[in-house]
Amino acid sequence: MADAFLEARGISKAYEGVQALRDVSLSIGRGEIHCLVGENGSGKSTLIKIIGGVVEPDQGVVVIGGRPHSHLAAIDAIRQGIQIIYQDLSLYPNLSVAENISFNQFVERRTGFVSWKEMRAIAERGLAEIGESIDLEESVQNLSVAKRQIVAITRSLTQNARLIIMDEPTSAITREDVDHLFSVIARLKAKGISTLFISHKLNEIFEIAEVVTILRDGRKVGDFPTAELDDAKLTYLMTGQRIQYTPYKAPARTAVPLLEVRGLSRRGQFREVSFSLWPGEVLGLTGLIGSGRTELALALFGLNPPDSGQILLAGQAVRIRSPEDAGRLGIGYLPEDRLTQGLFIGQSIGDNIVVTVLKKLLGALGLLDPARRRKIEKRWLEELAIKAPSARVRAWSLSGGNQQRVVLAKWLATDPKVFILDGPTIGIDIASKQNIHEIIRALAERGIAIIIISDEIPEILHNCNRVLVMREGRLEKEIQEVSAVGETELLAVVGGRHGNGEDRS
Amino acid sequence: MNTKLSTNLTLLAILLVLTAVISLLLPGQFLTGRNFASMGRQFPEYGLLSLANMLAMITGGIDLSVTSVMSLSGVVSAQLLSRWESLPMSPALVILLGILLAFAVSAVCGLINGALIAYVRVPAIIATLGTQGLFLGIAIGITRGSGVGGFPDPFLFIGNGELAGVPMQFLIYLAVALLVGLLLTRTRQGFSMRMYGSSPLVSRFSGVNNEAVLMRTYLTTGLLAGAASIIVISGVNSIRPGYGSEYLLISVLIAILGGTDPAGGFGTALGLTLGIFILQVLQSGLNFLNFSPFFKKFMWGLLLVALMVFHHFRRRYSQRRAARLSAGEREPVAGQG
Amino acid sequence: MKAALLKRSEFYLLLVIVVFAAAITLVNPAFLTIENLFDLIRSSSGMAILAVGFFLVLLSGGIDISFPAVAIVAQYITVNSIIALGIDNLALAFAIAIAIGLAFGAVNAFFISVFRIPTLIVTLGTMNIFHGAMLEFVGTKAINAGQLPNCFKVFGLVEVLILPRGDGTFYGLSVFFLIILAVVLITWVILRFTVLGRVIYAMGGNPEAVKRSGFNLVRLQFFIYCYVGLLASVMGIMHVSLIRYSNATYIINSELLHVIAAVILGGASILGGTGTLTGTLLGVVMISILEKNLVMLGLSSFWQQFFVGLIIVLGVSITHLQKRLRERI
Repeated sequence: MADAFLEARGISKAYEGVQALRDVSLSIGRGEIHCLVGENGSGKSTLIKIIGGVVEPDQGVVVIGGRPHSHLAAIDAIRQGIQIIYQDLSLYPNLSVAENISFNQFVERRTGFVSWKEMRAIAERGLAEIGESIDLEESVQNLSVAKRQIVAITRSLTQNARLIIMDEPTSAITREDVDHLFSVIARLKAKGISTLFISHKLNEIFEIAEVVTILRDGRKVGDFPTAELDDAKLTYLMTGQRIQYTPYKAPARTAVPLLEVRGLSRRGQFREVSFSLWPGEVLGLTGLIGSGRTELALALFGLNPPDSGQILLAGQAVRIRSPEDAGRLGIGYLPEDRLTQGLFIGQSIGDNIVVTVLKKLLGALGLLDPARRRKIEKRWLEELAIKAPSARVRAWSLSGGNQQRVVLAKWLATDPKVFILDGPTIGIDIASKQNIHEIIRALAERGIAIIIISDEIPEILHNCNRVLVMREGRLEKEIQEVSAVGETELLAVVGGRHGNGEDRS
Repeated sequence: MNTKLSTNLTLLAILLVLTAVISLLLPGQFLTGRNFASMGRQFPEYGLLSLANMLAMITGGIDLSVTSVMSLSGVVSAQLLSRWESLPMSPALVILLGILLAFAVSAVCGLINGALIAYVRVPAIIATLGTQGLFLGIAIGITRGSGVGGFPDPFLFIGNGELAGVPMQFLIYLAVALLVGLLLTRTRQGFSMRMYGSSPLVSRFSGVNNEAVLMRTYLTTGLLAGAASIIVISGVNSIRPGYGSEYLLISVLIAILGGTDPAGGFGTALGLTLGIFILQVLQSGLNFLNFSPFFKKFMWGLLLVALMVFHHFRRRYSQRRAARLSAGEREPVAGQG
Repeated sequence: MKAALLKRSEFYLLLVIVVFAAAITLVNPAFLTIENLFDLIRSSSGMAILAVGFFLVLLSGGIDISFPAVAIVAQYITVNSIIALGIDNLALAFAIAIAIGLAFGAVNAFFISVFRIPTLIVTLGTMNIFHGAMLEFVGTKAINAGQLPNCFKVFGLVEVLILPRGDGTFYGLSVFFLIILAVVLITWVILRFTVLGRVIYAMGGNPEAVKRSGFNLVRLQFFIYCYVGLLASVMGIMHVSLIRYSNATYIINSELLHVIAAVILGGASILGGTGTLTGTLLGVVMISILEKNLVMLGLSSFWQQFFVGLIIVLGVSITHLQKRLRERI
């Protein structure tokens, strides 16, 4: 491209015998909004790091503003205007907004002294450039994720960024904030600043990106203007497969629901939520982040006791004050973040699996019986097809898909009657995703009542028989028969704007 | 290879090498029954406290108050024991009550620690820093700074006697170490301790009662300190508040030497015992070679740092190896490389 | 402004100190006299210097327990060197001590930055290495006032502000006060106005991000631990000048826990990233009053340790309960 700001030509990179990238080329024009898409393991993170000078490629060259750089160092990339905003935003929670925004500038300057006046001036200028305003003295730890993103973007701007790279920027913010972010990106474009972002949220990609580059297994599948793509085509290009789904139909309802929630409320999180759940159902719970879905799930799991309302299990009112209670009552919960909430990452797979069922392991003298333990570990390694040489392997050495299966095993071992899965396939490759969906369906067919909390409309459509949509803490809509509803309709219900009748699709 | 096993094997190797080297340097002096007996006598003095800190560290905490708890329970017990002649009961009963009293006091101390850490959520290092002064202060207040002594003879057997030529203290240490090992490997509490130490958040999400685990942990460390106090006061037939304060840092050092990860989640009683053996052999050898006790301090510090450097390289090696093994399967995972 | 003041834990600590001082004065009016205050400053100056150093390390997310060992080793070696060299010069003494302090700090920094060993463990090890080596290779003979070179004795007596008592005698404010002032000022400037200082705070907040920002972390760690080493060695000289006695086993047992307690009471977080110099100094004041002046409350000296421990336990409990209430999770 003639006016490309950045070009990556023929990039190859291998790690410890694994070919992460194979002859990948990418071109980003000035002021272009470019999206990098691919499954986990496709090489997108590696490509970003190479562009940013954090990692050196084995082959290939990065061309910035027409000048090739064969050994790009991070500090050079920054000076050339390339800024990477990682998912954790790299902010300092204990420092103020002004400090965070101007921090890197002072570090770069090496003059030794900081001027608080100048710090404020830099921050003010930066925020003004994108038309934002945040309290400069506020500690970043007190800000919402969306505001923190603005701080991170502003920081990049103050370092004369020409290309801002964002890694999954919309995964933890509400719909309104996503809109806000997109308007900021548009303003960046107007200034001639290019944006490259990694995302897996198909509907958002279509909304803001101009060009999509698809990676698969370390190779580039192609660059496509967004207008030429749709969900199905994009998924096919990303995975090389056409996924066929049969909608799920729940069995006939029993007289008494397995779980009944009446008027559950917790101030600031959710209000007057009522619904019922029957055995064998797969209930989808969706809504944007901030709608209170996870908070509601945690209330059912005992980590977030409600202020008022009732929870009934098989017709009996129960109090769930801790995950211990929940476990005893037969409720299991697969957490949103498997790395920090679901797995003891440094411990063995076996330990991770049996931690929830220690009581079952008790043998003679009330001591844990290794034979029983090995039996349980073996059973779940096999049943869930967890790929590992043995149960003694540490959890960190597994792939995302296998790790998630370990967390599943942990809760399935408790023989739950109600199983809540919060974002079960986030950050997992397509093959594992499918596999986990099959496991979920098998569980439902065995009579377990399942709630899936998910952002991904296709996942909801293909797995659930019923859907509850939450918005701003209230149960806004219930879709009784998912198989009767199409994707566009569901999208419209879920993604509707606040107070604005505009249709999103 | 299982990292627990490899750590312990490394320690065993170090122990054997050290023993071989030192007995070569001191032919006929080192490998004697008498020497072993004298080494064995010192075991429980810091062995029990080290076990205590190992347990605390496995949960990601630390117990800086163990020596103070030892002082306090020793002092209180001594109040009873020293008056045995004037009490209207048999010496045996006094001894029994004295022992129970020591355990009772140390248990209460442990529960106070546990409550501060589990319910008030004070970080362990700070909570036990405070209680260390508190407990010692009570001990000083009770005795007005002076020592207490004069216990019934049968009581002194605990700290001075021998069974089949093996010092009683050593046997007691072995028994306790075995129990602690059992606790860690075969009980729910031990398992939960390791998991909590790995990640309190994941532990909570897994239905573990974190507060109960912590309370029991510090109750145990308290009891271990109480046991140490009994052995100490019976060993020297007296107690002075503040006795053994230098053992505090040694106990932390031994715990780490023995393979305990201060960040939490890992540690074995076997490794700890091997660590004590190594230290004892080193110390005894240095004594024979006429090195001063100060040199031993120097060596311990050096050994600790050297061990950590070794761990550093081993971690790098094992991470690279794991990456190569599961090549093609993995994607970058947080916390690596 | 008022609301912000009330939210700061230093404010409450100041309140507690005031209440305490008032209580003590009621029982013993001799407490709230200038002479006693000057005395307090003199005797707590050592702790103050050490606390500033410890606070800096804590801010960066680390912990250094070897500083008492550095202090006594620097002191003992310096005193012995001065005696051996026969040059009774205070400047030389400081030079030797500071060199030792910087060297030890560098050793700590080396192991922390190159091998990524947790700071607690490194300093636990080096503490034993420094102290053990000194005891072994330099010796343990205590140096009493008679043998102590004059430069130290004179230094300990220098006063910067002299006031008369009623009876014709005088008392004064020790020069140590100037040293504390200088150290606090310099540290304040560093923390507030230099990139290095802000990066120290940043380290406590997000060490990963600091790594990514391209700042030279090795240089940072060397600065931090050498600074503590320097402060500790200065304290060592002040200490021997104050008590006119150099015993190779002093400082280590007494100061470590007091300094940590003072800094934590002052509001610094054990995890790093938060805390103020003001809080640290208030913490030192609090601990000093507790340590040395409880006897003025009429408390039997044997119960002082208990009382101090109780106050610390209550103090940190309140601090952490406050934190919990603010988080509400």
